[in-house]
Amino acid sequence: MIEAVLIFLGLALLFGILLGYASVRFKVEGNPMADQIDKVLPQTQCGQCGYPGCRPYAEALANGEAEVNLCIPGGNEVMIEISEITGLEQKPMAEGAAEPKPKEVAFIDEDLCIGCVLCIKECPVDAILGATKQMHTVIEKECTGCEKCVPVCPVDCIEMRPVEVTTKNWKWPEPQTIQEGK
Amino acid sequence: MNPSNLLSVALRFLAKLYPASKRWLHRFHGGVFPQYYKSLSATQPIRKAFIPEKLILPLEQPVGLPAETLVKVGERVKKNQLLAQASKDPQKALIVPVHAPTSGTVMAIQPMTLPHPSGLQDQCIVLQPDGLDEAIVNALEVDGSHPGSPEALKSTLLHAGIVGMGGAGFPTYAKIPNQRGKIHTLLINGAECEPFITCDDLLMQTRAQEIVQGALITAHALGASKIICGIETNKPEAIRAMQEAASNTPVEIRSVETVYPMGGQKQLTLELTGVEMPHKAHAVDLGLLMMNVATYAAIYRAVVHGEPLTSRLVTVSGLGLNKPFNIHALIGTPFSALAELAEPKVTLDYPLVMGGPMMGFQVQNNDVPVIKTTNCILANPPEPVAMQMPCIRCGECMQACPVNLLPQQMYWHTQAHEYDKVEKLNVFDCIECGCCSYVCPSHIPLVQYYRHAKSEIKAMHAEEKATELAKQRHEFKLARIEREKREREARLKAKKEAVKKEALAEESPSAKKPEATAKSAAEAARAAAAKRAAAQKQSQKSDDSNNPPIPPARLKAIEAAKKAAAQKAQQKNEESSASSKVNREPPKSEQDEKKPDAKSAAKAAAMKAAQKRTQAKKQASTESASEVTSAKKDARQRAIEAAKKRAAAKKAELQPMAEMETEQACSDSAFPQQADVKDNTTAATELTETTTSTPASEKETARRAAIKAAKEAVAKRKAASPSKTEQTENTATPKPDEDKRKKAIEAARNRAAQKRNAANESQQGDK
Ligand code: SF4
Ligand code: SF4
Ligand code: SF4
Ligand code: SF4
Repeated sequence: MIEAVLIFLGLALLFGILLGYASVRFKVEGNPMADQIDKVLPQTQCGQCGYPGCRPYAEALANGEAEVNLCIPGGNEVMIEISEITGLEQKPMAEGAAEPKPKEVAFIDEDLCIGCVLCIKECPVDAILGATKQMHTVIEKECTGCEKCVPVCPVDCIEMRPVEVTTKNWKWPEPQTIQEGK
Repeated sequence: MNPSNLLSVALRFLAKLYPASKRWLHRFHGGVFPQYYKSLSATQPIRKAFIPEKLILPLEQPVGLPAETLVKVGERVKKNQLLAQASKDPQKALIVPVHAPTSGTVMAIQPMTLPHPSGLQDQCIVLQPDGLDEAIVNALEVDGSHPGSPEALKSTLLHAGIVGMGGAGFPTYAKIPNQRGKIHTLLINGAECEPFITCDDLLMQTRAQEIVQGALITAHALGASKIICGIETNKPEAIRAMQEAASNTPVEIRSVETVYPMGGQKQLTLELTGVEMPHKAHAVDLGLLMMNVATYAAIYRAVVHGEPLTSRLVTVSGLGLNKPFNIHALIGTPFSALAELAEPKVTLDYPLVMGGPMMGFQVQNNDVPVIKTTNCILANPPEPVAMQMPCIRCGECMQACPVNLLPQQMYWHTQAHEYDKVEKLNVFDCIECGCCSYVCPSHIPLVQYYRHAKSEIKAMHAEEKATELAKQRHEFKLARIEREKREREARLKAKKEAVKKEALAEESPSAKKPEATAKSAAEAARAAAAKRAAAQKQSQKSDDSNNPPIPPARLKAIEAAKKAAAQKAQQKNEESSASSKVNREPPKSEQDEKKPDAKSAAKAAAMKAAQKRTQAKKQASTESASEVTSAKKDARQRAIEAAKKRAAAKKAELQPMAEMETEQACSDSAFPQQADVKDNTTAATELTETTTSTPASEKETARRAAIKAAKEAVAKRKAASPSKTEQTENTATPKPDEDKRKKAIEAARNRAAQKRNAANESQQGDK
């Protein structure tokens, strides 16, 4: 009888120590859920969610302070992924935000640019190249299409243009699928 | 009769009862046995050369980046002359030079439809042949000796513009490894397995020597010891010719089973060497290098005769042609010109196919040119497409797949758009051979699904990369801003402390003032003044440090904008200091001003302005009270007064600034809503109304002037571009040093408007 109690006490102690050690040794830095959410967000950094960037939105979500349906560029898919990660209920996207549009990148009409550097300050990913009083240009590869630079331009010379289709990024169309009876 | 022959005979007999038993005769999995139709063109002799009316030479190859043109429109060029070349490191960018296939004049350099399933256009050189066929002999300037190292061979191949001619079109120089001895076995692909195509067959029959010599040259340069050539059993003539050419050389000719897709690189490698290539491994890493017979022939001609690749043997065949043939077609010959030569049975109003019926694709325009990878032009009249039925999960596709994939699973997941699962099923190992579609009893175009899935997955990965990049860049930017802010703060703090110390030193003698309230007010005012002074100094300093000596000719607009920004910052400072000391004004952030609602923003700004004014007045009154009560009018007091005056002056200046900001907020929010410019005007009007209701002061006039100017600017813009509503509203301010900036912006805007008008007009003109 006494042996059994001792054995179990010993075991409890051992596991307690093990668990305690593990929680110290394998402590996770930062907020793993925010990281996870940040991964599924499109990283457009457009701020349309009302947060200054994707990361802050992810953190707000992880802390349960935000709705799941705020990321407009991500659309429904991202909303579903977020709700899966956070365990929050899915919510329909706001009106008119659901339909995904083809990716666009900013284009600066270099004849009109006065080089005011306003757009450079606005761009979240430093995709605009230029210096004071020099014409500016967009590094297409790095532009996320967040449209933040469009309204700030005083001479209205930035516009969003769809990404050009070349033989390199052309996609084979999906074959016409037949409706299968299910 | 040896045992293996016996086995094959026995199996052939068995195949009559059980067709799939034919698959036991070859080493790779699956495969199909389509009807070949090879005799259509194989029985005809090679047609004599033909120079079309125009040649279209795409600058871009199926793989790699486009080359850059060296010729101008109207220039006369000779055969083999270099027309376009890589300006960058060609090794990295996989750029292949373009040579003139015959002599003639460059007619145009313009986008033309490419022989690509998308039917997209790209830059092409259009050449009008003059029929003289004047050639530059030995254009590559070779001495005919066999290169002794891979580098020498690679450089010749690069300049000759040789690409893999079997189908993929990967630049040959990029395929060859740099180290000598890395390749131990060289493989020659003579197993032309696609139905209808016979160009390799005829090439082996007529130019066996060149192929064998080309292989020997390559083996010599690479230090390969073994050369094996695989030819399908249905080309006995070719086997004989090649055996003859290969006698007394180390080249070994082997006949392989006739099964589709025997000509696939992995399939033929397995058949010839017994090596099954692992997933994602390159043949080169295993010491094997396989090239098409036509590529070897091109290598021979480049190395020995210095001829760049400007023509290739093309099969023109199909059930819609009366006289199918093979021809040494110049690169750039339009498909339609060749098809017309073969006497089509009916007019060619249906799309031609580039490649064979299994792996080829329909071109979007029959005038697309022959490129270096065009082995066949197929004219098969459209047949009624069998109705696609649901998958019955019969597993036929799985048994036919030469790569051992699970076509049916990939199909299901592609249909469900679960591309990550499709990728896990190794869809990228699919060679798009079409065996699965061929055997599918439900007539499902399976390969189409895999092609679609592949492009979707590629796009997905590209997007992931872009996302990662965007994240990194954003984080970097945040870090940079943070750092700059810290630096600025540190400087500001240092300045503040210095000023405080001075103030303290001054204050200590007059520390004991009778009126406590007056003292606190005075202190507040002084502290504010000190802060302002610090901020101003700071901003001036940052101005100086940020702006390297600018030549006077450069636009002053930027400087003005910077000053405005500095003032804005200063204003904010003021606000914060005032609110903390006097505790009258509720803390207000920029965010509030940018509230999406235009009206509320305008109101908020107006309220704020009013508050500030009342506060300023109060301050002034308390200060005057302190002035009255304090008997001494010492130096300190004067200093405070001076600071106050400055503050008042600044506030007067800042009032319009605040207005401007409000305006901006209105327009900012109006922009996404696509509201009419009118909204802004009304907002501005409202602003005037709300603000005029507050007690009038001498500053009122200045502010009114600002509003008026802003309104005028809006009206002007409205007049300038009536159609454009999303114009950014950055209104003018009456501040003298803002004038230049305003002018610059106005000028730029006028330019924009003019341009837009011109564009509109021209558009209308077009219509
Ligand atoms: S260039 Fe404009 S649209 Fe592109 S990422 Fe920068 S701010 Fe956004
Ligand atoms: S905001 Fe407009 S004018 Fe200013 S630098 Fe950018 S593109 Fe040029
Ligand atoms: S062959 Fe066709 S029907 Fe049969 S399992 Fe494959 S896809 Fe389905
Ligand atoms: S097309 Fe792809 S999946 Fe279909 S049989 Fe060929 S290799 Fe297999």
